[in-house]
Amino acid sequence: MVEVEKLREIAREVISRDDVRQLIGYRQGTYGFRARPAFITSPEEVDQLIFSPACVNNLATYLTLEEKLPVPRGQEPDLRKVAVMVKGCDSRALVQQMEEKAYERDRIVVLGIPCTGVVDMDKVEERFPNVLSRGEIALEGDKFILSFDGRREEVPKEELLADKCKRCRYPTPLVYDQLLDQEVARFADDDYSDIVELEKRSAEEKWAYWEEKFSRCIRCYSCRNVCPMCYCEDCVLDRLNPQWMRRSVDLSENTAYHIARAYHLAGRCIQCGECQRVCPVEIPLMELNRKFYKDVEELYDYEPGTDAEAPPLLATFKVDDREDFIL
Amino acid sequence: MAEKNSDFEPNIVAFLCNWCSYAGADLAGTSRIQYPPNVRVIRVMCSGRVNPLFVMNALQQGADGVLISGCHPGDCHYMQGNYYARRRFMLMRNFLEYLGVEPERVRMSWVSASEGAKWKEVIEEVVNGVKSVGPMNKFQRRQLNW
Amino acid sequence: MNGKPKIGVYVCHCGTNIAGVVNVEEVVQFASTLPDVVVARNYSYMCSDPGQALITDDIEKFGLNRVVVASCSPRMHEPTFRKTLLSGGLNPYFLEMANIREQCSWVHEDPIAATEKAKRIVEAAVVKARRLEALDVKEVDVEPACLIIGAGIAGIQAALDIADAGFKVYLVEKSPTVGGHMAQLDKTFPTLDCSACILTPKMVDVANHPNIELMTYSQVEEISGYIGNFEVKVRKKSRFVDMDKCTGCGACAEVCRMAGRIPNEFDEGIGMRGAIYLPFPQAVPAKYTIDKENCLFLSKGKCGESPKCKEACQADAINFDLQDEIVEFKVGTIIVATGYDVFDARKKPEYAYGVYDNVLTALEFERLVNASGPTGGKIVMLERGKKKKKKEGEEAEAPRVPKSITFIQCVGSRDKSVGNEYCSRVCCMYTAKLAHLAKDKIPDCEVTIFYMDVRAFGKGFEEFYDRVRREGVRYIRGNPSEIFRRGDKLVVKAEDTLTATPLEHETDMVVLSVGLVPRSDNREIIDLLKLSQSSDLFYLEAHPKLRPVDTASDGIFLAGVCQGPKDIPDAVAQAKGAASAAMIPMASGKVKVEAQTSVVNEATCRGCGFCVAVCPYTAIELVEVNRNGWPVKVARVNEALCKGCGACAAACLSGSIQQRSFKDIQILPQIQALGVK
Repeated sequence: MVEVEKLREIAREVISRDDVRQLIGYRQGTYGFRARPAFITSPEEVDQLIFSPACVNNLATYLTLEEKLPVPRGQEPDLRKVAVMVKGCDSRALVQQMEEKAYERDRIVVLGIPCTGVVDMDKVEERFPNVLSRGEIALEGDKFILSFDGRREEVPKEELLADKCKRCRYPTPLVYDQLLDQEVARFADDDYSDIVELEKRSAEEKWAYWEEKFSRCIRCYSCRNVCPMCYCEDCVLDRLNPQWMRRSVDLSENTAYHIARAYHLAGRCIQCGECQRVCPVEIPLMELNRKFYKDVEELYDYEPGTDAEAPPLLATFKVDDREDFIL
Repeated sequence: MAEKNSDFEPNIVAFLCNWCSYAGADLAGTSRIQYPPNVRVIRVMCSGRVNPLFVMNALQQGADGVLISGCHPGDCHYMQGNYYARRRFMLMRNFLEYLGVEPERVRMSWVSASEGAKWKEVIEEVVNGVKSVGPMNKFQRRQLNW
Repeated sequence: MNGKPKIGVYVCHCGTNIAGVVNVEEVVQFASTLPDVVVARNYSYMCSDPGQALITDDIEKFGLNRVVVASCSPRMHEPTFRKTLLSGGLNPYFLEMANIREQCSWVHEDPIAATEKAKRIVEAAVVKARRLEALDVKEVDVEPACLIIGAGIAGIQAALDIADAGFKVYLVEKSPTVGGHMAQLDKTFPTLDCSACILTPKMVDVANHPNIELMTYSQVEEISGYIGNFEVKVRKKSRFVDMDKCTGCGACAEVCRMAGRIPNEFDEGIGMRGAIYLPFPQAVPAKYTIDKENCLFLSKGKCGESPKCKEACQADAINFDLQDEIVEFKVGTIIVATGYDVFDARKKPEYAYGVYDNVLTALEFERLVNASGPTGGKIVMLERGKKKKKKEGEEAEAPRVPKSITFIQCVGSRDKSVGNEYCSRVCCMYTAKLAHLAKDKIPDCEVTIFYMDVRAFGKGFEEFYDRVRREGVRYIRGNPSEIFRRGDKLVVKAEDTLTATPLEHETDMVVLSVGLVPRSDNREIIDLLKLSQSSDLFYLEAHPKLRPVDTASDGIFLAGVCQGPKDIPDAVAQAKGAASAAMIPMASGKVKVEAQTSVVNEATCRGCGFCVAVCPYTAIELVEVNRNGWPVKVARVNEALCKGCGACAAACLSGSIQQRSFKDIQILPQIQALGVK
């Protein structure tokens, strides 16, 4: 587990540097067990920073999400670095963003946090509903310790652990300037068993499954907004000229939206699972992204977010790529 | 259950590359080779131009099937376009199948400028495939008649 | 384009080709109901003069700004109707054709189905036409100079032709002399011309021609740009000999401390040279070169008391301080004539090349028979690597003359096991020639050739093959399996397949007819010029039948064996062809570049570089622009390099890069028109 004092010490050092304008980390949320992102610009604010299994957000998304306001005439843009705290999965977003030239490596300061897993907040809230006062979650051994309202509850880790952590391949960040804790060795792997199970169903069953899911979509675009890989200035999915899909909340348009977004993430989605986490109507978005992820790995031996120098998946080819489906 | 009545005439949108497949289809024409009229062609310069989202869009708009045809690997007029197309459509086809869109609806072929006879075979194979799975009735766009 | 689209639709009968199946009236009627269609007509032959006049008249009468012609394939008449629009005062790219002949009336018998399909095709053409844009056809200037890489016979011939026509040629050759492999040959088939006699006049011409700047011992380091405007950087390697002062007298080579100790590349390692050397007596330029890897002074810092070559040189031409020189210049066209290597016979270990001294490659044998070669033209048994010191007073042992020579054809060609499936085209004939020369020099020598087929396809070839057999050369059909030693003879184990007799053929010397393979350093040229390779790894021509000297890149041409195995007349013919092709843009002074290129919307581009990575022509690069005060990288297309394939447009996730005339906003309505039931 990351020691909070060490974390704050390092953060203080980093934000005090002249060449760093902002540090993105985690702080306690407004209520319950939640944590939320912290955007600090001065050493005085460092004491609010925390890290715990409640820190589920992928902070890498803020690097590309930040609105670049027009620079007033006569002024220079503030090109100083941004520091960001990332878990293993989040660091892959950084690598992938650098592969896509979103920014150069020397524009960011990466504080890597080797991660032993985060909780699924839905499971926590189901277990301990209606906790309004602030609570904390810690990991001790193989149990999560939840402290709130004077109580101390112990829950076995696998009961609250996020599903994505049960398949995590990269608990230790792949890129960092400093590591805030000891490296964590890989403790899980992904065998795509959920995807394989869905693949086995008949065409009718598959469509019935997805029709139900896409019908629920309210086109809130939360999935797109939270995704670290979605940062186009003007997204094709809601462009009008040309219009690929209508903005109406309609099964056909919703399906088109999800197909298009999943395809745009082929070879780019780094499996942070944030999209599924933030979906207000619980569409299993990872089941869409992971289908591409599985095919990309099996067919083309490519894993996004692991090598910033690698060429983009769909900009490469092998002469002997599979073509048994081609007449 | 999709209707599979014998009256069903599928509507198939095809993207053909100018240098090989479109020329091959023209050759079928000059050779007066007859084939079913279900396929409507959109000409592009290279199969590498075809965005897989065109496939999604075509199926959404009402097409029962989509065909993309380009030059044989190694023969692309622009050297590499068909290799990119191959990867993109392998992934898109698998994904659509995963959602319940039958793979018979998303087809790809390599037809060279000299393969007029092959073009007929490709059309027949694709049309029969789409006939066997019936009309596309998943996620159809509602057409608005103003 | 100002104002609304005004579309004219013209449905052609094409005699009865279309009208015999498709109800053209119905199609016209349907077309006139489509939005923005101002006029819809049908006519018997739209491509005829009156047919085209219909269009130009309507452009004037109705102020048409878009034209749809529903007729044959655009591959047939798109250029015709583009000219029609131009003559009517309209940008030629406002044309869209609907193919209702090759892909409709000619292939569907049912008139109802064909008419229905024709209507949909026309509708798709109309919705695309609505969104067409005017495109400029750009022209770029062409620098009237040509870079030729490689000065073998192909490079030399191309250089002479272009220079004679009055254009400037930069001829760059990697080795210290021009001439290539042809200079190593003794006689050429089938005429038995002396190779050096026919080559050296051309070599001298190329050195003296006022329009040719010859750079030997030089390498092309960098090439950038596009047709008409290539920027070239060449490294002229230092010979450590002042080219202006050297008279070619050879005094230096005689006294060099390394003389006779370094295998001479020109003699295929059979002959020896010193560290300062001339590759062969007729080398052009006739200037000596110091090989810095083997020169004692340059590699070890010390040559005895002082370098003897420097002392011996009367012209004071030797200068160990000379550096490589980089030159830069601009050319309009490039010809690649880098030639070939011969197959490395060590890849066929069963033939024991490199194990037994008297298993030779054909090129080594060529040097033996050549009068200016290491044995003065005498065919003798070799003792490689042994340098017998003459003992005081003793006569040097006379080298033995082989009593039998055996040739083995197809070594490294037509052979999947070494990865060369192709036939090298010249070996049957050069083997016959070498066999003839062997018989000529050693009349009672037994000469045998083991072959799979004899390919004597060219002018005078079959006659030469007949002659050689009449001279007593024995041809046995069978591919030998191995060569081994028995006593002081070599044994070639084979089967005479015509009589189905296995045999062990004893011989003194074996000559392997090695095939032609792409040069081992051809990767350098590929990387410089983005050339493609055929499946046999020679450079890829633009079209195997109709464009054998062009490459996929405009302005870059191929000549000689680098494009594929061929003999000297074919190499010369191709060189002349490449020269002619290169002269076309240089003579016209201007060249058109593709109009249907890609263009970037820099406001929405996020600089991810996917388009840059997919472009087969490296026509796109990321440039820094200012977006609201922030420096960002966006893609930008070099319109002269872009060939209009559209791979970038499909790769772009934000839809920022689009291909003109095939933009998403032009294709999506077509999908709707054709897809909706």
